[in-house]
Amino acid sequence: MRLGNMEEFWTFGTPFLKYERSLARHFKLLILNIKPLNSDYFQWQLLICGHFIFRIAAVSGAVFARVAMGTACDLFGPRLASAALTLITAPAVYCTAIANSAASFLLVRFFTGFSLATFVSTQFWMSSLFSSKVVGTANGIAGGWGNLGGGATQLIMPLVFGLIHNIGATKFTAWRIAFFIPALFQTLSAYAIFFLGQDLPDGNYSQLHKSGDKHKDSFSQIFYHAITNYRGWILALTYGYCFGVELTIDNIIAQYFYDRFNVNLHTAGIIAASFGLANLFSRPGGGILSDIMAKRFGMRGRLWALWIVQTLGGIFCILLGKVGSLGVSVAVMIIFSIFVQAACGLTFGIVPFVSRRSLGIISGMTGGGGNVGAVLTQVIFFRGSRYSTETGITLMGVMIICCTLVIMLIYFPQWGGMFFGPSSEGTTEEDYYMSEWNSAEKERGIHMASMKFSENSRSERGKRVGSAPSPTDGTPSTYV
Amino acid sequence: MAALEGFLVASFLLSCLTSTSYGVSFSSLQKTIVVSASHQQGKVLKAGEDKITVAWSYNNSFPAGTDSAYKTVKLKLCYAPISQQDRAWRKTEDNLEKDKTCLHNIASRPYSHSNNNISWTVERDVPTATYFIRVYAYNSADEEVAYGQNTDAHKTTNLFQVEAVSGRHASLDIASVCFSAFSVVSLIGFFSLEKRKAKSSQQK
Repeated sequence: MRLGNMEEFWTFGTPFLKYERSLARHFKLLILNIKPLNSDYFQWQLLICGHFIFRIAAVSGAVFARVAMGTACDLFGPRLASAALTLITAPAVYCTAIANSAASFLLVRFFTGFSLATFVSTQFWMSSLFSSKVVGTANGIAGGWGNLGGGATQLIMPLVFGLIHNIGATKFTAWRIAFFIPALFQTLSAYAIFFLGQDLPDGNYSQLHKSGDKHKDSFSQIFYHAITNYRGWILALTYGYCFGVELTIDNIIAQYFYDRFNVNLHTAGIIAASFGLANLFSRPGGGILSDIMAKRFGMRGRLWALWIVQTLGGIFCILLGKVGSLGVSVAVMIIFSIFVQAACGLTFGIVPFVSRRSLGIISGMTGGGGNVGAVLTQVIFFRGSRYSTETGITLMGVMIICCTLVIMLIYFPQWGGMFFGPSSEGTTEEDYYMSEWNSAEKERGIHMASMKFSENSRSERGKRVGSAPSPTDGTPSTYV
Repeated sequence: MAALEGFLVASFLLSCLTSTSYGVSFSSLQKTIVVSASHQQGKVLKAGEDKITVAWSYNNSFPAGTDSAYKTVKLKLCYAPISQQDRAWRKTEDNLEKDKTCLHNIASRPYSHSNNNISWTVERDVPTATYFIRVYAYNSADEEVAYGQNTDAHKTTNLFQVEAVSGRHASLDIASVCFSAFSVVSLIGFFSLEKRKAKSSQQK
C-alpha cells in the first residue's frame, strides 16, 4: 500500500519522514564548505579548479555518478545504493583531515562530491514510497531540506571549528578535527539507512527478488528505455536552469555583494547563506504546489506550474542583475531564490511519471543535468572578465527563460501537454507504462510493478477521472 | 531638524572623503632604503620556528635631507611574482591602498638613519610561498614616502621560501585511516548481511 492522500502522508508517513529527513540532512552535510581560515592557505583549490581540464573532469564525474546511482537504484534498490555510496565516500571525508597539498585537497573534494549522488537515490526512494498524489511534496521536502543542509553547513562548520579551537587545538589542527564531525555523521547515516530503511512498502529489493515478488531487471533494457524517452532529456535541460542556477548563485553571490555593494565579507556570507536557507520552505513549496495543481488539473497542471514558476524565476534573475541598491537587491534575490528552488521541487513532481521502469536513470539524468547546467552557466557568463557579474546574472536570467520554453514540448499521450489535451486515440496510463515492456517480459509477469503504478497514476488526469477509458487488456487492479 | 540636517551634511561629506581618498602610488616612491635579509638553514624556512634577520639603512647616495620627512618604518613580508601567479588576492597594484603584494607585517620601528636590524621568527600563519622583504618609510601623516627591498626591481634575486605549518599529527592520520577502513569494512558487512537476510526469507 502506498501512502495515498495528504492525511495518510502526515500520519502514517511520519516514520518514513523521519529517516527521509536524516537522509536529506546527511546527504547535504556532504557538501563541505570549509570557511577559509587563512584564505591564502585554502585558495589553492580555486587555482586548481580554474583549470579547464579539472572542471570538465569534475562535471563528468558528477554526471556519471548520478546516472550510475540511478541505475543502481533501479537494479538494487535505493537503500543499498545510498548506504553503499555513503560508506564508500566517507573515507574521502576522513581523509580531508589529512590533506596537505593542492592536489590532495582537490582529490578529496572531488571524491566527496560523488556522495551528492545520494540526491538521486533520495528522490527515487520518495517516488517509490509515496503515491502520485503526494510524490511532489515528498520529493520537494527531501530535496529542499537536503539542499538546506548545504547552507546550514556554511553556518555550522565555522562554529564547530571555533568550538574545537577554543577547547585547545591550534587553528591549524582544529579545522582538521572539525572534518571528523560530518564524516562521522556520514557513517552513522549509512548505518541508519541500512538498518531502518526499507526500499518499498512491501519490503526490500533483495527479499522481493528472492521471493519472486520483484524481478531483477536488466541494465540494457532500463538504459535503453531511459535514453530514448525524450521527456527525460527535456527535464534534464530545464533542471540545469533551476538547480544549476541555484548552484551557480551559491558560488558567485557572496563575491557579487562584496564587490558591488562593498559589504564586508561576513555580511556577504550571511546574504549568500540566506539564499540557500530559503530551501527550507521554497522547494517543498514547489512540490506541494505541484501536487495541488495535479489534483485539479492533472499532469497538465504540473507542467504549467513548472513553466510559470521557472519563467518567473528567470524574470527575477534579470531584475537581480539590474538592481543597483543593496536593500532592493537582497529582496529581489530572496524572491528569485524562492521561485528557482520551487521550480526544482516542481521538476521532481514530474520526473516520477516520465518512466516507471527506468525511474532511477531518469532521476539520475535530471540530476546530472543540474550539474551540467551549473558549469555551463558559470563558464559562459562568470568566467574571466568578459561580462561583469551583474550583466552575467541578467544574461543568465534570459537563458533561464529561453531554456524553460522546452517544457512546452513535453507531451504525455495519456494526460496531454501544456497546449494539447490527451491523445484522441484514448491512450491510457497502462498503454504508456507498458510500452516499456515487451511481450516476452510481460509473459514472465515482471511488469507488475509498472501496472500497479499506472493504476495509481490515474490521479494525474485531474478532475476528469470519471470519463477516462478503462484498461484494454483487462488485467485486474492489484491494490494491496 | 537643524541637528538632522547637520548630521546629513556631515555624513555626506564624510562619505565623499572616504570614496575619494586615493592611496599613495608605488611608482612615486623613491628607493632610498637599502635592505638586506639573511637567514641560516639554507633556503626553506619553517613558519613558527625559523628566524630571519633584516638590516636596513638609508642610502647615502641620495641627496642629504631627503629623509627628513621619514618618521617610522614598517617591515613587511612580500610575495614574489611566482607566488602571485593566478592568485588575484595577492595582486600587485600601483595604488598602495589596493596593493596586496605585502600582506604580512614583520615589525614597525621609528625611523633611524643607520644601524637598524631585527631578528624575526617567521609567524605561524604565514602560508607556503616564496617571499622577499620590503621596508616602507612613512611620514608623520602615516603615508608611504619611500621604500627599500632586499631584491631587485624585477623581484627575482634573494628570494626565500617559507613552509607553512601543516597542523597534521600522527594521531589524526591514524584516526582517519582507521575510520575509513571501518567504513569500508561496514559496507562489506552490509552486503553479506543483506545476502543472508534474503536467503533466509527465501527459505521461509
